[in-house]
Amino acid sequence: MIVLNRLVVGYQQQGVTPELVGEFTRGSMTALVGANGSGKSTLLKTLCGMIKPVSGSVSLPRPRPSVAWLPQHADIERTFPLTVFDLVAMGFWRQCGWFGGINRQRRQQVLEALARVRMLPFADASPGTLSGGQLQRVLFARLLIQDADLLLLDEPFSGVDSDTLVLLLELLAERHRAGCTLIVVLHDMATVTGHFPQVLRLNEHHSEWSCRDGGEAGLDLSRGGGARV
Amino acid sequence: MKTLPVMLTLSALMAAPAAMAQTVQAVASFSVLADIVENIGGEHVVVKSLVGPNGDPHSFEPMPKDGQALAQADLVFVSGLGMEGWMDRLVAASGYKGRTVVASEGINTRQMEEDGKTVTDPHAWNSMQNGVTYATNVMNALIAADPDDAGYFRQRGSAYIAQLTQLDNWAQQAFAQVPEARRKVLTSHDAFGYFGQRYGVHFLSPVGFSTDSEASASDVAGLITQLKKEKIHLYFIENQTDPRLVQQIASASGAKSGGELYPEALTEKGGEADSYVKAFRHNVSVMIASMK
Amino acid sequence: MTLIEPFIAFGFMRRALVACIALSLSATPLGVFLLLRRMSLVGDALSHAVLPGAAIGYLISGLSLVAMGTGGVIAGLTVALLSGAVSRFTPLREDASFAGFYLGSLALGVTLVSLRGSSVDLLHVLFGSLLAVDAPSILLVSAISSLSLLLLATIYRPLVIDAFDPTFLSAQGRWTSPLVHGIFLTLVVVNLVAGFQVLGTLMSVGLMMLPAASARFWSRHLSGMLLSAMLLATFASFSGLCASFNLSLPAGPAVVLCAAFLFFISILFGPCGGIFAGRRILSMAKE
Repeated sequence: MIVLNRLVVGYQQQGVTPELVGEFTRGSMTALVGANGSGKSTLLKTLCGMIKPVSGSVSLPRPRPSVAWLPQHADIERTFPLTVFDLVAMGFWRQCGWFGGINRQRRQQVLEALARVRMLPFADASPGTLSGGQLQRVLFARLLIQDADLLLLDEPFSGVDSDTLVLLLELLAERHRAGCTLIVVLHDMATVTGHFPQVLRLNEHHSEWSCRDGGEAGLDLSRGGGARV
Repeated sequence: MKTLPVMLTLSALMAAPAAMAQTVQAVASFSVLADIVENIGGEHVVVKSLVGPNGDPHSFEPMPKDGQALAQADLVFVSGLGMEGWMDRLVAASGYKGRTVVASEGINTRQMEEDGKTVTDPHAWNSMQNGVTYATNVMNALIAADPDDAGYFRQRGSAYIAQLTQLDNWAQQAFAQVPEARRKVLTSHDAFGYFGQRYGVHFLSPVGFSTDSEASASDVAGLITQLKKEKIHLYFIENQTDPRLVQQIASASGAKSGGELYPEALTEKGGEADSYVKAFRHNVSVMIASMK
Repeated sequence: MTLIEPFIAFGFMRRALVACIALSLSATPLGVFLLLRRMSLVGDALSHAVLPGAAIGYLISGLSLVAMGTGGVIAGLTVALLSGAVSRFTPLREDASFAGFYLGSLALGVTLVSLRGSSVDLLHVLFGSLLAVDAPSILLVSAISSLSLLLLATIYRPLVIDAFDPTFLSAQGRWTSPLVHGIFLTLVVVNLVAGFQVLGTLMSVGLMMLPAASARFWSRHLSGMLLSAMLLATFASFSGLCASFNLSLPAGPAVVLCAAFLFFISILFGPCGGIFAGRRILSMAKE
């Protein structure tokens, strides 16, 4: 579904990856791994159009799929005077737009999402008072509400305790079964990458696609080669 | 060649009168004073005015060319009485070592209130009687600086002083014909102290005589109340302070605009008050007309 | 009843109050957002950036509302746009490019006004003439205020989202986030320009930011903060004008001084994080 055409990503004309060629097929669940500075987050941001590519291009199908982005905590203004409920309700932006109201049904959905991530008691709390793991669960609840076709997650498991990790992986698997396309930036953690059918490994000089169960993977015509598992 | 001795003779002939009748390079602090100097000095004086037409002589931001003009001047004129606070620094900075003539020397000063303090009112020239003193001081200073042209200066000076004296008399008579109860003027600038004292006119204003102090609500309210009480129906806007404030006061008290007055600056050349004499005549005529 | 009396007796007091209240309502919510987006000094910078435009308007048509206002808006928007562009395409960050442009802008403005001959007018532009607000000024300020509030209500939701999580909107589309940011900055500039007619360029940003900073101590919710800011600003306007009347203080600065005074009170006694409010809770807990 997302095709990479000799894509090089980076900031201010400085590329940080090699030329990337391949495709994230519809319904795939890919882990994006690599060392620090290998361009994982940058690639993710380029895929949804937040940053322009240094060279090459990304092709998205028409009509453009709905996108949900899970940010790093550093990108969020945690002291902003919102409640957890409002934060999750933000997920309805695509459906409600600038003026649509949150009716009773939607209100119920927000509460259900919070319950799903076991954060219902915190509905009126402010995000600044939550721990890292708690905030992450709330952000996941927002992700659920967004109900998007393409989910892009930027290091969603950093600083998260093991219980939360299990819950979040379960949620992702659920979304995958529902037909969403997932691309998740991770540190190379063996246990976690074990849950992802496809893996794109990036480093400075080459990229490597691999596919766990021998199914459809991205075309690995990248420089330096890579093995089709 | 024959042309050479002719050229030499011609230049010698031209140099001689030039050497005798030198031009005095004068710098005056503001436009009114510059005009006085120009009228008396005529073609033997070149005057530069630091504060230009429509400018405010109380607060002046000098530019490097002003310092330059001072450095090259033969004579510097100020009005004095504390108005040109900025002049001392400028003189020191420019390195001017000559004489600074205080044109207001010898007048009877008056006091006035500014921000609760009593200070000397510096707007002496608005009374033509003082104007005569200004002109006399200027004339004497020019004579002292350029004695060769003393006769010229004395002749022009006397004629000018006579003109000023005649204006003084005219103003006195004109105002005397107006009943005292009606001799009141509202204007946004409190620079007519000497004028009011000389010609028996009572001036009201919304702010103190320094143009850069800001009004408080009690000042404004007090004035509106006073206007209504005294039944004044004409006001005058200065050419360098906020006309909106004056209009505000006037609309609350029922008064109308009577035109412009020129107490501190002349207009550009060609304007209705481009000389000291014209400005005075204009001020008096307009005020008299408004009192009828 | 002596507090209300001056407003009943004098038209200029009523008009000054109405102008200040109009500004209090439309500018303070913007101030709250500036604060929450960590752009507090941007407000200050923009208020100075406005000066050369106002100066050019003044050079062309004297103390004319429309000329100076239009010039001011153009200048402010230009600086905002240029800063944004420079920070996008060069290594310089937005706060640094803002600083560069607004300082240059301020110097240009002072120069232009001085060219016309009198620094008195410069002072009026800097400090405004609150007591000289007449009927056309009120209409203009009120119209700007109403339109501003309307537009703010329109962009409220994306503005809040973008302030909390800038990645959310930009992931879903290229243009929503910059559009909202652009409209927001435009509103800030327009309100500052409306403000400088009334309070001057130096003071109008005070009425925008001080109540906003104080509001933090009165509510933990965004809607509460917005309301508190508006109320505090209105109160500052009223008490400032009273102080000007009863204590003979210059009007514009008096209003901003009251806002500053309320700010200190808020820091000390505000229920949400005020210094003494916290202590009271601590001592109650000990008992």
